[in-house]
Amino acid sequence: MNILILGIGQSLRGDDAAGLEAVRLWREKFPQTAGTVRVELSEFPGLALLDLLEGMDAAIIVDAIQSSASAGTVICLTPDELAGFTPETGSAHGWGVAETLQLGRSLHPSLAKCRVALIGITGGQFGMGAGLSPEVREALAKAANMLESEVLSLH
Amino acid sequence: MKTIEVPALARVEGEGGLYIGVKDGQVVEIRLDIYEPPRFFEGFLVGRYLQEVPDITARICGICPVAYQMSSVIALEKALDVEVSPQVYALRRLMYCGEYIESHALHIYLLQAPDLLGQPSALDLAAIAPEVVKNALRMKKIGNEVLKAIGGRSVHPVNACVGGWYRWPDAAPLQALLPELEWGLEAAKETVRWSLTLPYPDLEIDYEFVAIHHPEEYGVMHGDVSSSKGNKTSVADYEMRYFEEHVQRSNALHGHTAYGGTYLVGPLARLNLNHDQLLPAAKMALKDAKLKLPLKNPYKSLIARAIELVNFYEEAIQIIKAYQPAGPAHANLKLKTGEGCGMSEAPRGLLYHRYKIDEQGMVKFAKIVPPTAQNLPRIEADLFALAPKLVKMEQEQATLTAEHLVRAYDPCISCATHFLKLKINDIGPA
Repeated sequence: MNILILGIGQSLRGDDAAGLEAVRLWREKFPQTAGTVRVELSEFPGLALLDLLEGMDAAIIVDAIQSSASAGTVICLTPDELAGFTPETGSAHGWGVAETLQLGRSLHPSLAKCRVALIGITGGQFGMGAGLSPEVREALAKAANMLESEVLSLH
Repeated sequence: MKTIEVPALARVEGEGGLYIGVKDGQVVEIRLDIYEPPRFFEGFLVGRYLQEVPDITARICGICPVAYQMSSVIALEKALDVEVSPQVYALRRLMYCGEYIESHALHIYLLQAPDLLGQPSALDLAAIAPEVVKNALRMKKIGNEVLKAIGGRSVHPVNACVGGWYRWPDAAPLQALLPELEWGLEAAKETVRWSLTLPYPDLEIDYEFVAIHHPEEYGVMHGDVSSSKGNKTSVADYEMRYFEEHVQRSNALHGHTAYGGTYLVGPLARLNLNHDQLLPAAKMALKDAKLKLPLKNPYKSLIARAIELVNFYEEAIQIIKAYQPAGPAHANLKLKTGEGCGMSEAPRGLLYHRYKIDEQGMVKFAKIVPPTAQNLPRIEADLFALAPKLVKMEQEQATLTAEHLVRAYDPCISCATHFLKLKINDIGPA
């Protein structure tokens, strides 16, 4: 089974780096599992996300999210839940994960066979500059553990 | 006063908003507000070593990093009286081809076409025309692959340096791109044919077009600054004829000519001024299109981009087929105090850099004039030209119509996340 672990974010936009940091931490804590899958860290891949998913049977994306939950809340969207997500934004330049996946599925039916789950870390601040907020930094360990469980459940 | 307000424009590069004030059925104020935070590149380049400049300025934009790298190395080479070899130059043109391909494919199909086809977004366009969007993504990807083959990655590629390249890219990965580039060339020709069928709004403006012009090649990096008003300016004299000023309400600078007029840079300007220098396939595509030049409709910049796509696919194929790296990849630099200007045509238009360096190669002064800053007053003027139509429309249609015009310009406000927040103030019919 071809599995991709993909940390997404922008390392210079505050909590938007959470996905990248969580995957780095997971890789450090669970090197054995990390060695069995393909791991990528991508700064705002946009449409290139579709290229990254090409040929994969399953993918777990780790990314910062904005939601009404408090900063540092970690959620896991199953493939079914993620597939049902309809993005609000009309933007086509700053392609986010949800829009890109939706576009990919409408263009490439084979992509629908790739089970994509998302671990989302709720961010508190996305302003300019490096550095995670304390709540998000504390949540990284939980996200890493959640990622480990998800990867193991795929094997 | 009634207003049309778009607090944050969608499907443009970066963060900007639009405000149109209407009084007694007349448009009285138009503002394209740039609230992308000022990024101070010209400030923090001071004190950096000259070889850091290409990679730092590349960060100004994620879609056109090559343009910043090229304008900067040209300027710094001027400051040091360095001439690069034809091989170095050919590879620079190839890298630019990659950037034009990915930028134009993205804008044509995913940013502007949805407007012309009445679709809210590229996602919706993909739902009704999946093959069109699939091909667009494939075309864009080829451009990215060219950048990756030369510069290691498609966003902010590395390898370009003052004097040439850090290393010659291997020929094999470049040659491996030829089949896809050949496919892309045919797809680009089809893009031109398709672009002629799109329903463009009627709007003709008497622009002053400004672009780099060279008698023997499609102007991108070598040549003078040419104006459709008939004058020609050397790159060294650019600042004497074209000014930039800070407008209080905006974080971007606005460009105007020395006599206070607006001017237009970008694909329309390039095609109108340089169509004689197009390569054969693009020239044929232009001839078959039976267009009456100069094109003066800002929405038809899409057609110009399509023709340029053909040109740059063809050029990329030519350069790769002839690529046989030999000799040093970069010239030796002899550091000295100096000042140099450099200019290149980013996909969106003229991009000008000027630097002063000291005897140790440290930057003492930097000036960067991006194409969108030069076009901002022209965008606002075009919206004024559109105004009589806008005031007769319902609010939502007027808002969309104004946004469409802004998007046709492919403004590159800067690379940032952006979002659509629409605040509509009631505007009744006049």
